[in-house]
Amino acid sequence: MLFNSLTFVAFYVVVTTLYWSIRRWELRKNLLVVASYIFYGAWNPPFAALLFTTTAMDFWLGRQIAKAQNQSGKKRWLVASVCMNLSMLGFFKYGNFLLQNFQWLLARVGIIYQPPHLDILLPVGISFYTFHSLSYTLDIYRGVLQPTRSLRDFILAVSFFPQLVAGPIVRAGDFLPQLAHPPRLKANQFLWGLALMTLGLFEKIVLADTLLSGPADRIFGYPGPLVALDSWAGVLAFAGQIFFDFAGYSICAIGAALTLGFHLKDNFRFPYAAIGFSDFWRRWHISLSTFLRDYLYIPLGGNQVRPLRMALNLVIVMFLGGLWHGAAWTFVVWGLLHGTYLVIERVFRIFFENKPWAGSPLTRAVAGCATYGAVCIAWVFFRASDFTMASRMLTGMFGGHPTGDMILTTRELLQIGIVTVGVIAMHWTMREESFETAVMRLPAWAITAIGSFMAFAIIFTQGTSNAFIYFQF
Amino acid sequence: MRSSISSFKERLRLPRLFFRRPSREEQIHGGPPLEFERPIPLAQWRGISVVVTIIVIAATAGWELYSRSLGYAPTLNDNEDLWTMARRRVEPESIVIIGDSRAWFDCDLDEFQKGLGKRPIQLAMAGSTVYPALADLADDKNFHGTIICSFVPHLFFAPPGSPPMERAEKGVKRYHNQTPAQHVSEYLGMWLEEHVAFLKPDDLSLEGLLNQLPIPNRSGARVPPTFPPYFQTEDRERRARMWEKCAEPESELAKRIQQIWIPLFTPPPPPSYVPPDVFLAKIKEGIQQRFGDTVAAIEKIRARGGKIVFVRFPHSGGLKELEDKIMPRQQSWDPLLQMTHAPGIYYSDFPELSGFNCPEWSHLTAGESVEFSKRLVPHLRQALKM
Repeated sequence: MLFNSLTFVAFYVVVTTLYWSIRRWELRKNLLVVASYIFYGAWNPPFAALLFTTTAMDFWLGRQIAKAQNQSGKKRWLVASVCMNLSMLGFFKYGNFLLQNFQWLLARVGIIYQPPHLDILLPVGISFYTFHSLSYTLDIYRGVLQPTRSLRDFILAVSFFPQLVAGPIVRAGDFLPQLAHPPRLKANQFLWGLALMTLGLFEKIVLADTLLSGPADRIFGYPGPLVALDSWAGVLAFAGQIFFDFAGYSICAIGAALTLGFHLKDNFRFPYAAIGFSDFWRRWHISLSTFLRDYLYIPLGGNQVRPLRMALNLVIVMFLGGLWHGAAWTFVVWGLLHGTYLVIERVFRIFFENKPWAGSPLTRAVAGCATYGAVCIAWVFFRASDFTMASRMLTGMFGGHPTGDMILTTRELLQIGIVTVGVIAMHWTMREESFETAVMRLPAWAITAIGSFMAFAIIFTQGTSNAFIYFQF
Repeated sequence: MRSSISSFKERLRLPRLFFRRPSREEQIHGGPPLEFERPIPLAQWRGISVVVTIIVIAATAGWELYSRSLGYAPTLNDNEDLWTMARRRVEPESIVIIGDSRAWFDCDLDEFQKGLGKRPIQLAMAGSTVYPALADLADDKNFHGTIICSFVPHLFFAPPGSPPMERAEKGVKRYHNQTPAQHVSEYLGMWLEEHVAFLKPDDLSLEGLLNQLPIPNRSGARVPPTFPPYFQTEDRERRARMWEKCAEPESELAKRIQQIWIPLFTPPPPPSYVPPDVFLAKIKEGIQQRFGDTVAAIEKIRARGGKIVFVRFPHSGGLKELEDKIMPRQQSWDPLLQMTHAPGIYYSDFPELSGFNCPEWSHLTAGESVEFSKRLVPHLRQALKM
């Protein structure tokens, strides 16, 4: 079920009304479990069984980790949980990718092997719910969480419908405490939740789908060379589209959860105003970057190792972060590029951090522009279907096709330009504060005008229920 | 009064609370102990919500009234979900209409039912290639019914990856992969479209209006052709009828659409990145491939006892001249019938099927489509040996 669909509107109204009408907390939680499974099953009902299996296994494994008498026992159960989760993910998401690469490797040594094409359907949001569930056993192993005694509560923590299929990645340790006591219906919280849902839908339907996705799709689907202007316009359009698409989903999820009395953390914090790549990853897909930091980067030694090892750790983490996004080498290159960016940034810091000009507004502005430009270059690999396309795009962007084709209309170029300048200006204006603080500074009439504009724009735009980009991950 | 934000900041400094019972002071509004609580901006949310609701309702009602004043009325929009609904109704012995917008506009289901004894199912789709639907019926092992297939060369031979092919494939794909959520959304959407006039994505949506902005393009830019605006109504059986505004004599809308067909039906210049001779060879190869695939699909259907008849529907004016010039009958229609050994009805071969008026050169008006269908039925019966 997509947030930008009529089915979701009907589903949400029924669930929210029932939820706040029921007095008993246990019944309300049961309702949310049923609603979440309906929400998930509305894509492909059999996959709900897979979701339940993963969840039940982790619930049991979490208890085994807690019960184990010694560290090696705990580790064995944790390894079982990690293997179970990653093998599910591996089979459904990376099965064909691994087979193709195996075939390629065999061909390199002269063995011709034709693997069967596995007709595997990727369960929606498997990367997200696997991480929701995995965080539970990892936190129990780390000693920062006690296992819950209620399977129902754990099922709800993993499958809570606002965050189930495209994040934010909500750790069980952040969600389970909220199930201890019933939240109270607070008008301001509920209405703010609705306001966030409106903002999220506006970002998705109006900005991502209507103004940016068409040109981005055409540019990245064009089989010929393009001039620099069209190449850059396509990349900028995609940079805006993926932000509004994914941040829009996250804001909708946060808003929907808030209307039900649950608090989810921010997943984006004005990323296109980042100065440097560490800053970017503190602002982009925060729930994934903190997950990778806590469960991968720090266990690998984090910053507390020799510089070369630290650089390697960064590259390993970003390599896996890239692979998490999709079973293709283009995603891996995207991750490796970000890993390399992070390493280069550390080197720059060593040499220049203490220079008197390092913190000047001009330096910050240049660094901000450089960060945005480098992030856009990395997006080419994220969006391109293969390396031929990526290489053609990059060549076009850097003037390699002066006689290439022009395929965007003037209107589309204007749209991309206006939205890009708008999003960057907004991010820079608000980069040092939270979104809530920025809203609080606005007078009531401005909030009313913006809210009315966004709500009417959603109706006026007549969305087409395009899937959110991150569903495929 | 303390703001929610300062309370939030203080809370972040608290130690983890999950493992112990919080003190009264640590509890938020008497609620549960939380490690994290989202700040709620202080504002008059109730008042703001009421005013926003009033403004949005007023703006929506105003937009609806304005749309109706322009002549728009509630009707269904064609999409892959509506096509899927129709496809689901296909039974083993159904009569099915497939093809492009000419079959969609020009076939009257009531007249076909009267004349053929069975109500046909309308699967023709505007601006689409017929092959994906034909192949889908051929692969449906239960289907052994009758197919009435429209033929427009420009669309019939559209290559893989082209918009007509993608449009048709989208419908077939949706039929096979429609999720329960999409199914429910379609029913809810139909109800809305039957009551709200401004739900016209081609004309009255943000994208539709942006497309109408008269902004000139860069010279030499290979921009996609403009598609015609909304000019038909559609019901739940996917019966399309030309909008009266387009059917009026000397209609401005019809004239506008005529001028859209010409560039839309003119083959685009060869791409800059493929040598012209290679491109031409590929086009010829693609046409032969489509002939071959069509023959194979028809043989599958015939092997199960099914039948097919091709129909060339009326078209006129500059569009007819263009179609005849680009793809003459001898190079398209005749070889198709020869290769498939299928019967065909070319409207201009029969005086009673000729002389119909296509206001925008490509489709019949709702009234004329009824008469045309009535006159077409005896030819269909004869061709299909019914």
